[in-house]
Amino acid sequence: MTILILILLIVLSLYTLSSRDLLHGIIALSAFSLLSAILFYILYAPDVAITEAAVGAGVSTVVFVWAIRSTERKDKG
Amino acid sequence: MKEKKYSIFFIFQIILSLTAVLAVLLPIFLSKVSWPDLARNYLEQNGLQESGARNLVSSIYLGYRAFDTLGETIVLLVAVSGTISIISHSGLSLAKGFGEDEIKKQTYNSISGFHRTELLDVVTGKLGPIVLIFGLYLMLFGHLSPGGGFQGGVVVASGIVFMALGSKTDSSTWLQEGRVLAKIEAAGFLFLILASLSGIPGGFGFFGNPLSATEASPVIYIIILNIIIGLKVGAGIGFMCIAMLGKVE
Repeated sequence: MTILILILLIVLSLYTLSSRDLLHGIIALSAFSLLSAILFYILYAPDVAITEAAVGAGVSTVVFVWAIRSTERKDKG
Repeated sequence: MKEKKYSIFFIFQIILSLTAVLAVLLPIFLSKVSWPDLARNYLEQNGLQESGARNLVSSIYLGYRAFDTLGETIVLLVAVSGTISIISHSGLSLAKGFGEDEIKKQTYNSISGFHRTELLDVVTGKLGPIVLIFGLYLMLFGHLSPGGGFQGGVVVASGIVFMALGSKTDSSTWLQEGRVLAKIEAAGFLFLILASLSGIPGGFGFFGNPLSATEASPVIYIIILNIIIGLKVGAGIGFMCIAMLGKVE
């Protein structure tokens, strides 16, 4: 289970780095935070899991989506 | 030619990052020094008894390592102030992102140019108070169950953002007003400093627990710190998010 989650984390982070559509990248990053929260819970760190779920999957996603709304969705690089 | 140059640079980058990772990790594997376990064993045996908390994590970060928590809250305070100053200086360019020339006075309670749906209204408006209560639970019971001031504060901030998103055009509570939140944040920091100094007259040092000399349970100090930090973090992050929603003058 742990190894499966770790592999998924690597895949999600690579997708986040390589996606040209920034909104897709943010959703992948949010899923990354959720999966790492589950991983922290499996590894007996519920405090860290709550922090990761609240900050990573909640607040920072809202902040990033709002930043995209104020700028542009596509990465031109 | 250009592609070849690019690939050489890419390989160089990979080699450099691998070298950096090895330089950090190799000493850990190669060294013969055993893993330090003095502090760990001490905390495992005496931590719960000395602090009175049932959650060892909160007994560490508000008792033994409270200094780190103070630094953490200062970092958060600086981050929120920086964000607010950037937003207040570039309010016009931010308003352009919502398709408006500038944020109009009469509609500043609603999110300008924001496409509202029934789903958003119902879900966020109804879920907001529940999330707020969950955040307060995390904050108040941080010494017993997983959670604590910081986590509870962030969940409270999510609740504030939910209520700000879900509220109807004209209705708003005092929780969504920037002035109130900023005052809560400032007062929280003041009380945190006062609480950290409260142990000094009794001779317990900075962030010393003043209750450890009295008959009262020492866990009360942790509860007080949890409440202060939770209010401060919740007000700070909530203020930042509401300012990003364009709801603060």
